[in-house]
Amino acid sequence: MNPFTEPSILRHLTRRHFFSRCALGLGSVALGSLLNGRRAFGAGSAHLANPMAPKQPMFAPRAKNIIYLFMAGGPSQLELFDYKPKLVELNGQPIPQSYIEGKRFAFMGSSHGTKLLGTRREFKRHGRSGMWVSDLFPHTAGIVDDATFVTTCAANLFNHAPAKLFMNTGSGQFGRPSMGSWVTYGLGSECDNLPGFVVLQSGPRGPRGGAVNWGSGFLPSAYQGVPLRGSGDPILNISSPKGITAQRQRDCLDAVRDLNLKRLVETGDQEISTRISAYEMAYRMQSSAPELIDLSGESEATLKLYGVDKDKPSFARNCLLARRLVERGVRFVQLYHTNWDSHGGPGENLQGDFEKVCRDVDQGQAALVHDLKSRGLLDDTLVIWGGEFGRTPMGENRDTTGRNHHIDAFTMWFAGGGVRPGAIIGQTDELGFNAAEDRCHVHDIHATILHLLGIDHEKLIFRFQSRDFRLTDVHGELIRKMLV
Amino acid sequence: MPQSRLHKSFVNLLFTKLTLGLMAVSAVAAAPVDYLHDVKPVFSEHCSTCHGASQQKGGLRLDTAVFALKGGERGPAFTPGKSAGSLIIQGMRGAHDSIPRMPYKKLPMSETQIRLIARWIDEGAAAPTDEQSEKNVHWAFVAPSRPPVPKLAGRKSKSVNPIDTFILTRLAKEKIKSSPEADRVTLIRRLSLDLTGLPPSIAEVDAFMSDSSPDAYEKVVERLLASPHYGERWGRHWLDVARYADSNGYSIDAPRSIWKYRDWVIKALNRDMPFDLFTIWQIAGDLIDTNSLAPRTSRLDPLIATGFNRYTQINQEGGIDPAQFRVEAVMDRVNTTATTWLGVTLACAQCHDHKFDPFTQKDYYQFYTFFNNTIPDGHGKDAPEGVLEIPGENEAAETAQKELEEAETNLDRYLSTKVSEVAQWEQSLTASDIANLKPAARNALKVPPADRSIKQRRIVYAAFRPDEPDFKERATRLTKLENNRARPVTTLIMVEHKEPRSTHVFTKGDFTRPAAKVIPGVPPILNPVNDSRSSRREEAHSSNEDEPTTNSASRLPNRLDLARWLVATNNPLTARVIVNRIWQQYFGRGLVETENDFGTQGSPPSHPELLDWLACELMEPRAFNVERSTFNVKRSSSWSLKHLHRLIVSSATYRQSSKARSDLDLIDPNNKLLARQNRLRLDAEIVRDVCLTASGLMTDKIGGPSVFPPQPDGVMTLGQSRREWKPSTGPDRYRRGMYTFFWRATPHPSLTVFDSADGFSTCTRRIRSNTPLQALTLLNDEAYHEFAQALAVRILKEGPKPDPSRIDYAFRLCLSRSPSKDEKQRLLKLLNKELAASDQPAAWASVSRVLLNLDETITRE
Repeated sequence: MNPFTEPSILRHLTRRHFFSRCALGLGSVALGSLLNGRRAFGAGSAHLANPMAPKQPMFAPRAKNIIYLFMAGGPSQLELFDYKPKLVELNGQPIPQSYIEGKRFAFMGSSHGTKLLGTRREFKRHGRSGMWVSDLFPHTAGIVDDATFVTTCAANLFNHAPAKLFMNTGSGQFGRPSMGSWVTYGLGSECDNLPGFVVLQSGPRGPRGGAVNWGSGFLPSAYQGVPLRGSGDPILNISSPKGITAQRQRDCLDAVRDLNLKRLVETGDQEISTRISAYEMAYRMQSSAPELIDLSGESEATLKLYGVDKDKPSFARNCLLARRLVERGVRFVQLYHTNWDSHGGPGENLQGDFEKVCRDVDQGQAALVHDLKSRGLLDDTLVIWGGEFGRTPMGENRDTTGRNHHIDAFTMWFAGGGVRPGAIIGQTDELGFNAAEDRCHVHDIHATILHLLGIDHEKLIFRFQSRDFRLTDVHGELIRKMLV
Repeated sequence: MPQSRLHKSFVNLLFTKLTLGLMAVSAVAAAPVDYLHDVKPVFSEHCSTCHGASQQKGGLRLDTAVFALKGGERGPAFTPGKSAGSLIIQGMRGAHDSIPRMPYKKLPMSETQIRLIARWIDEGAAAPTDEQSEKNVHWAFVAPSRPPVPKLAGRKSKSVNPIDTFILTRLAKEKIKSSPEADRVTLIRRLSLDLTGLPPSIAEVDAFMSDSSPDAYEKVVERLLASPHYGERWGRHWLDVARYADSNGYSIDAPRSIWKYRDWVIKALNRDMPFDLFTIWQIAGDLIDTNSLAPRTSRLDPLIATGFNRYTQINQEGGIDPAQFRVEAVMDRVNTTATTWLGVTLACAQCHDHKFDPFTQKDYYQFYTFFNNTIPDGHGKDAPEGVLEIPGENEAAETAQKELEEAETNLDRYLSTKVSEVAQWEQSLTASDIANLKPAARNALKVPPADRSIKQRRIVYAAFRPDEPDFKERATRLTKLENNRARPVTTLIMVEHKEPRSTHVFTKGDFTRPAAKVIPGVPPILNPVNDSRSSRREEAHSSNEDEPTTNSASRLPNRLDLARWLVATNNPLTARVIVNRIWQQYFGRGLVETENDFGTQGSPPSHPELLDWLACELMEPRAFNVERSTFNVKRSSSWSLKHLHRLIVSSATYRQSSKARSDLDLIDPNNKLLARQNRLRLDAEIVRDVCLTASGLMTDKIGGPSVFPPQPDGVMTLGQSRREWKPSTGPDRYRRGMYTFFWRATPHPSLTVFDSADGFSTCTRRIRSNTPLQALTLLNDEAYHEFAQALAVRILKEGPKPDPSRIDYAFRLCLSRSPSKDEKQRLLKLLNKELAASDQPAAWASVSRVLLNLDETITRE
C-alpha cells in the first residue's frame, strides 16, 4: 500500500495546502483571529505542521530578525556612554538628599557609600551624531552613526535575576515568556532547519536566573530559546548516538516516518503529521547545526574584523555566529555576556576587570554592525545592546570603589532594523541619576521593538489562567523618536 | 512552566475560527437565538468592562437584556425587531458617525457575533424576565444540586452508566452517534496508562484478551486501581498543582528536601484517602487535633501534608528585601489555593477589584490573612523554619547505603594493594615522627597491622600519604557518604508564627503601600466560612464529634477553618473543580474547558448537568443500581477519588474509539461533545516510563529521595549556580520519570522538552507540544539510546525466533498490539538492511529505536 494514494492522506495534504495558502493570503486577518481567538484556544484537533512556520506580521515590519546582545550584570553607563562632567567635579561629595529620598536600593544598608563617583575614563564625541563614547569602546565608537543611543532607559527591579527577567519578559515573576518566545510565537521563523530562537553565552559564568531568561513561560515550549553551546554538541542531542552513521540514522527515520504515516491513515489524527514534520526538521537540524558553527568558510578578513579565533569560544565568535544565524533566517538570536557587575569587589572592580569585559565585547559587537551592514542585512536586522540595569552615580565601597545597581537611568543602543541611525535619545540630569527628559521605560522599549517587527504590542496576547498576557503587561508606549 | 493551554497554532486557530463560524451559521438557521446561551456571553466578553455593573460609559449597561433595551444617554440601544440602524449594531460595526467602533480600542467583534446579536434583536430580543443584574449569580457560585439522570429512549437506563446518559442525550440533540468501543488491546493499554502511567505487560494483555467473562474489563479496572502505581500516576497530577520541585527556585536555586510530601501524596491516593481529608491535611495539617486522628495514622503525616504550601520559591540572593519575597510567597499560596480548589482567578484581585468576577481587592487580602501568619521561608539570609526531621530516617539509609558500602570496599581494596609500602613506612618512623602525628594516627599505629579496622588503616594511610590523588579521591568520597548517613531526612511544613501579623490591603498590590487593615474571611459570594465547622473530617474516626465549640463566636477563622470551608458540601466550587480536572486527564479537555477559571470569563461547561452530577456523586456517592453483570460499583465513602475514576473509566464514553471521524470535522471539530475518545500524547514522565518498561530496565520502586538519571553534559551550566548532576548508578538510574530530581532553574531536558510542569507556579493543565527537539531527544539522547539497546537485548533473549516473531514481540512490548502485515514488513526490511552491515544486537537496536520513536508509542490512543 502506498499511503500517499490513500484518500484521507490526500485530503489531509489538500487541506493543509488550503490553509497554508489561507494563512499567507489572509495574513493579517489570521493574526487577528490568533489574537482574538480565545474561544479557539485549547483546540487540539488540527495543527500546523510546524509551530515555527513563518507568520505574517500585523503591519509592514521594519525589522525581520533580532540580535540581542545582553550585557549581563548591568554595565556602567557612566564609564561608557553617559558622560557627566559635573559628577567628575563633585567626586567624593555626598549625593544631595533630594536624589535618594524615598528610593529603595539593592543591598540596602550594606557596605556601599553614598558619595558621588566621577568617572576616570576619557570621553570623546564621535561620528556625525557626536555621541559620547569613552576610551573603553574604541571600536564601538565607530558605529555611533549607525545606531540609536537611549541614555534614559528605566527599569523596575534592582536585583539581578528579577531584573533580567524583567528585561526579557516584562515581569520580575518567573514563568513568563521571554521576548524571543513572544516574537517567535507571533512571527515564527524563516529558517526551517534551525530553531527560531537561539541563545549563545560567553563570559566567566552563566547569566543570573539561567535558562528562565529565554524560557517560553506559559507559551508552548516550542517557542523557548535553544542554547547553542560553545563546546560539545552545538544543540542538545543534535548528534546521532555513537555508532549510528548518517545512513543508519536516515534509515531509522524513514522507517519511523513510514510507520507514522500508516498510523496517520489509520487514526486520522493530524497530530501525527505534525510529528512527522518535526522528525524531518530534527533530521535537517542534525546537519545544519554543525554546518552553522563551522567557520572555515569565513574569509580571513571577516575573522579579523571580529577578532575571532576560530576554535576558541568568545563573545566575538558568538557575534559572528549571530550573523550566520540571521543569514539563515533565524528570527531571534540572543547573546549573553558576563560579567558586568562592577561592585568593586574581587573580579568586579571598575579598573582592570571592567576594562577586560569591555575588551571582550567591543570589537565583536562593532564588527557585527559593520558586517551586517556590508552584507545588506542591517536593514532588516535589529541589533539591541544593553544590560538589565545600569550603575549608580554614587560609589560603592568594597575592596575598591565600584558602583551599585541603578534602574533609573541607563544606556542601551539599537542599530539597524528601522531605528534612526545616529540618534541620541534622552537626557539625564547632571549627575546621571534620573532622566531629565525622554524617560524610556523597559515596557516602552519592548513596545518599540515589537513595533519594528510589525507587531502591535497590545495585540500580541496569550490567554493564560484566564487572563490575557502581553510582553508589555498593561503598559508600553512607542518611543517614536527611535523610529526612522 | 505554568501551562494550561493546549498547544495550538496559527492555522489551527484560523481553521477553528472558520468552522466555528460555519457551525454558528448552520445552528442559527435551525433555532432562534438564545439570549442566555448566545448573547449574554458575548456582551460579557466584549462589553461588560465599560458597560457593566461596575461602570456604565455613556450611561449604558449591558449586563441584562432589560438594561440593554433601556439604553444610555443617547437613547435606546436598539428597538426589538429592528437591528438595522440600531445604535448597538452600528457601534459594533464602527458605522456610526460619532460613536467610535466598539469595543473601544479593542479588537473588533467577529462578524458572526455581531450577526448573532442582530438576529436576536430581529427575533424580538427575547430574554428571561427574571434576569437580575448583580444578584444574578454566576452558575459556578451556586452550590451544585444533583440533577436527575436523563432517560435514554429504548434503553434500560439502570444498566447504563449515568455519565453515558448525559453524554448520549447531548449527542442525540445534535443527531450525532457515538463511536464504537475501542478494540480490546487499545482499551487495556488506555486503562493501564491512564490509571498507572505504565503500559500493560504482554501477559496482562493476553489475560484480558482471553478473559471472556462479562466483567473482564471491570476486573482490569479494579486491578489497576489497587496497583501502587495508581498513586504515582495520579499523584504526579497533584504534584503539578502543588508546584513540586526539589530546589528553591529564583536565581540561586539551592536544593531543598521535601520529597516526603511527594511520597505522602502517593500513599494517600493509593489508600483512597477521602479528598476532603486530603485537602484539610494539606491546608492545615499542623492545626488539627492529632489526638483525634484515626488509629494507626502516623502523627507526622498531617504535618508532612502541609508541605503543599511550602513549595513556594525561596529567594536566597544577598541584596534582596526578605519582606518582599515573604509577601510574594503568601500571594502564591493564596493564588495557588484559589486555582487548585476553587478554580477562580482570585489573583486578579491582588491589585484592584476583579474586573469580571465578584471578588473585591478586600476579599483578596481577607483570604491572604489565612496564610499571612506563617514562619520565615528562608528568603535572603533568613534561615528557613518549619523544617521537620523524620525520626529514624536518614538520607543515606534509603539510597546511599549501597554506595557507602561500595565506597568502603573500594578503599579497602585500594589499601590492601599498599600493605607493604605502609609497612615499610611504619618501620622507618622514629619516635619523634610518631609523636608528631595526630592522636588518631598514633592510636591506630598501636594496633597490629593485621588487626586494624578499615577505619584505622585509612587513618594510617592518611598520615603516610595524605595527598596521594588516588587515595584522596576514594577517601573523600567515603567521607561524604558517611556524612550523608548522619543527616536525618527532613521535609518542610507549615507552622503558625507565634506573633500574629496584621494584614492590610496593599494599594495596587504593592507591599510597601499598606492600606486598610483586614480580618480573615472568604469572598462573600461563596459559602460562609464558619459553616464548615460542622464537617470535621479529620476527626472522622473519633468519638468527640460533639466537642463543644470553644469560644467559636469570638474566634476569628483560621487556616483550619479555611480548609474545612473549601471542602464543605455547600462550597459551590471545589467538587466541580476537582471532578473537572480529573475528567480533563481522561479526555484531554475538561467539561469546563477553562479548568482554572470557573468565573464569568471562563468557558461555560459543555455538559453542565453532568458536571454537577459528578460533583454531587463525589461528595455524596449513591451506589446507583447497576446490574452486577454490567459492572460492579462498590459502595464508596464520600469524596472517594477512586469511586470517581471507576465511574469514568467504566463509561462507554471513555471506552470509545479515538479514531477521527470525518462526519465530525465540521460539526464538532474539537470533539467537545465526545462522540469519540481523543488521542493524547503521554506526559513527559510517562514517555520515559513507557520506554523504560518496554526495554525491561524499569526499577519498580515507589518513593524515596529523588534520583539523577543521565542527562547530556552541560545542562547544569545553564543555571546561575553550577549544580552537580552525578548520574545515578544501579537501579536508581532506571526509576520512573516522576522521581527525577527537579531543579527549577535547570530541569532535566528530556522532561521539559515534553512540557513537564515547571514548578514555578501551580499548573492545572499541561501543554502538549510536538517539536523537533522532542524528536532529537527520543532519537539521540543517551538515555533513550540506552533503552533501545536494552530493548534489543531483551528481544534477542526473550523473543521467540524467527525474526518475524521477534518483531511481533518487540512491537507488543512497545505498543501492546501486534503489528499489521505491512508494519511487520517495514520493520523486517529495516532489520535485514541493518543485518547486512552489523551484528544482531546492533541491528535489533535500530529496530528498537524505531519502535521507541513511534508516535503511537508515546500516545494514549
